[in-house]
Amino acid sequence: MAPPILEAREVWKGFFGNPVLKGVSIALEPGRVHALLGENGAGKSTLINILSGALSPDAGSLQLDGRAVSLTPAAARRHGIAVVQQELSLTTHLSIAENIGLGAYPLRFGLVDYRALARSADELCRSVGLDEDVARPVGELSLGRRQLVEIAKALFRKPRVLILDEPTSSLSAHETRTLIGLVTALKRAGTAVLYISHRLAEVTEICDHVTVLKDGACTADRPLAGVDAAGLVRLMVGRDPGDLFPRWDACPAAQPAVSVRGFSAGRTMEVDLDIHPGEVLGVGGLVGQGQEDLLLGLYGAIPASAASAVFAGRPGLPGGVTRANARGVAYIPADRKREGVHLTHSIADNLLLPGLARGAGWRRRARGAEARLAATLAGRLSVKGDLDRPVQALSGGNQQKVALARWMPLDPGILLLNDPTRGVDIETKREIYAMLRGFAAEGRAILLASSDTPELVHLCDRVAVMRDGRIVAILERRDISEERIVALAMAADGVGRAA
Amino acid sequence: MTVRDRHRAMLPGRPAAGLAVLSRNRPFLTLLIVAAVWLVASATSRGFGSWGHLRYLVELAAVIGIVGAGQTLVMIGGGIDLSVGAILTVTAVGLPLLSSGADPSGIVAILGILGLASLIGAVNGAGVVYLRVHPMIMTLATATFLQGALILLAGGSAVTVHNPAVYLLGNARPLGVPAGVVLWAVVALATVAVLRWSRFGARVYALGANPLATALSGVNVPATSVALYAASGLAAGLAGILALGMNGQGYVGIGDPYVLTSIAAVVLGGTSILGGLGGYAGTVPGAVLLVTISGLITVVNASPGWRSILFGSLILVLLLVSGREVPRR
Repeated sequence: MAPPILEAREVWKGFFGNPVLKGVSIALEPGRVHALLGENGAGKSTLINILSGALSPDAGSLQLDGRAVSLTPAAARRHGIAVVQQELSLTTHLSIAENIGLGAYPLRFGLVDYRALARSADELCRSVGLDEDVARPVGELSLGRRQLVEIAKALFRKPRVLILDEPTSSLSAHETRTLIGLVTALKRAGTAVLYISHRLAEVTEICDHVTVLKDGACTADRPLAGVDAAGLVRLMVGRDPGDLFPRWDACPAAQPAVSVRGFSAGRTMEVDLDIHPGEVLGVGGLVGQGQEDLLLGLYGAIPASAASAVFAGRPGLPGGVTRANARGVAYIPADRKREGVHLTHSIADNLLLPGLARGAGWRRRARGAEARLAATLAGRLSVKGDLDRPVQALSGGNQQKVALARWMPLDPGILLLNDPTRGVDIETKREIYAMLRGFAAEGRAILLASSDTPELVHLCDRVAVMRDGRIVAILERRDISEERIVALAMAADGVGRAA
Repeated sequence: MTVRDRHRAMLPGRPAAGLAVLSRNRPFLTLLIVAAVWLVASATSRGFGSWGHLRYLVELAAVIGIVGAGQTLVMIGGGIDLSVGAILTVTAVGLPLLSSGADPSGIVAILGILGLASLIGAVNGAGVVYLRVHPMIMTLATATFLQGALILLAGGSAVTVHNPAVYLLGNARPLGVPAGVVLWAVVALATVAVLRWSRFGARVYALGANPLATALSGVNVPATSVALYAASGLAAGLAGILALGMNGQGYVGIGDPYVLTSIAAVVLGGTSILGGLGGYAGTVPGAVLLVTISGLITVVNASPGWRSILFGSLILVLLLVSGREVPRR
């Protein structure tokens, strides 16, 4: 067995006192395709960033060809480590060839040799299965084709270590086949490949070795031969919920508060959904499968259509945020800094805004009543201190509580929550979970999209799993388990469509 | 006082820190600068400190202040209105053309021209919201359009007004206070009331601080924006009528100085050019400060070209000294 080119030993990394990687080791050997698996938030991206020099570990070491190194992105590139990120890093107004060669243009008499650049770019494009004129601006290409350019760009520097982060997520079946062929060829040529994918069929097909991360720790580091998809899923899931979640009894009403058939909005396609008063309906799946568009569409924030829809007893989609609010629909966004709160404004102003958004603009504000209302809301949420402080002075968890509490005066019957506990400390999570079950017990209908699988398992009456913009299954409470959700999300259940 | 007490006194939020709070209050600081400039100018320049001259300065500042009321609203809402000068000119040139014998008091013509000014503002707002044109481009395009239309309509010559209401506004002095200053006071009270006491005002602040979060909070963003720019058009129209009354004549170009000065007054008064923070209380001393500086430059007795260069440079210096934005996270 050849010695590894790049190796991480006992690497630790935390953000703001929150450990993300807890002593992870991984060794990338030449001529081997190494799979890295894990749920959302297991620490995969952090590990990739450390291996490519974008982050430096808090503890532990990186070894390159057997020698300890500390990497920067530039040094990593120099040593032949190339990363293809999920977020594309292409310059849209430059041509395919220019993007591929960016930063390492071939020179001739001190000038860029565009002919040589075009020649090598063309060659690379054909090897990744991209049949485009290399003079075309990247901005004209589809997302899948851009992904191929990104891969060609990584290959341009003839890397010894190639890290592919979800390379097939936007590729067609045909393009995926070409890519798999390419990875196999690279492996034969002696490249060390790290392959991150949620598509387990692909992983079992091309990878030789697998490392599984769960909550920032390694749960498996072994040859892939002899492991089936169900075994991999088991290695990824299973967290001890502890006493984080409240106990509750199901109390859904028979008549749904929201009922849509053939609902489409943005990435969400042809969804049938009923949300009953008194229930928490979870929406699970991998990140970016249309969950956010489902919520925004129901909220009227993005254009949506439905074959039939009933909201709060009235037919038709609300078709606008203001009208959705009038029907008792409230939305709590995932990106609270950008979409949820007004950072420079005071806690009180933030708490009062949804109320002030309603009614005629010239109506006078009742400052005394407003102050009392803000104080009541803050008290109920245990947000302490001066309410005139700007919201940006609060912790992420308290900001989220503000984003949630400000809707309460409107007494919404339908709550749409988009990953409400992302980046929230454990204590606030507990409070938010208790609040959500409390809202359900009061007879509100709650739709909870979450990237945190335990949350779906322990908090929801039913869970809808989304994949590629569609709901692939709705699990009843007795059927909900992390294994089922993850298997459905990754199409490892045997019923999913082929990748 | 023990050492410990002294340390306590330095902490923010202590009663002893009242002066510190005032020193961070931008409207108050701008007012202090005005007072300082007036004191120094009265001591060094003969006649500057006379009652008549100071009254004249405030009367001149009224035009900037009224335009600045609309500009304050728009800028708190996260936009900017570069068409205020052109709208001011439209009212000053258009009103004399509207006057007729069937309207002896001139009130109908005034209401008509103010309606037109608001409508132009609403078109600005609609362009910004529905066509998604950047406010700077939209209002600049409107301004250019209006200037062309005025040259075609008025033919470039000055028009004299024969409207009794406009004349009164420009020249009457009830109880010794110029009518224009009275109008400014009314506009100022209305602006402060809208910003501080109305639901609309709360929405404007929210819109300027974070348009996306504001839309997701249920605020009708299109309606709010259109209303904002319409209010700015109305304010510029009011200022145009006042300028016409004070001048007696309207001409193409009468509104030109008010684009930069209205924005400068707003920023000097501490309103964030990024939107979401500020208020009208600062714009008032900001307007007076600008007029004072302009007056002092006239005293220097330079040629018109140099006066303009000096004024522009001084505005820049003032903004550098006082209008620095603290970078936001």
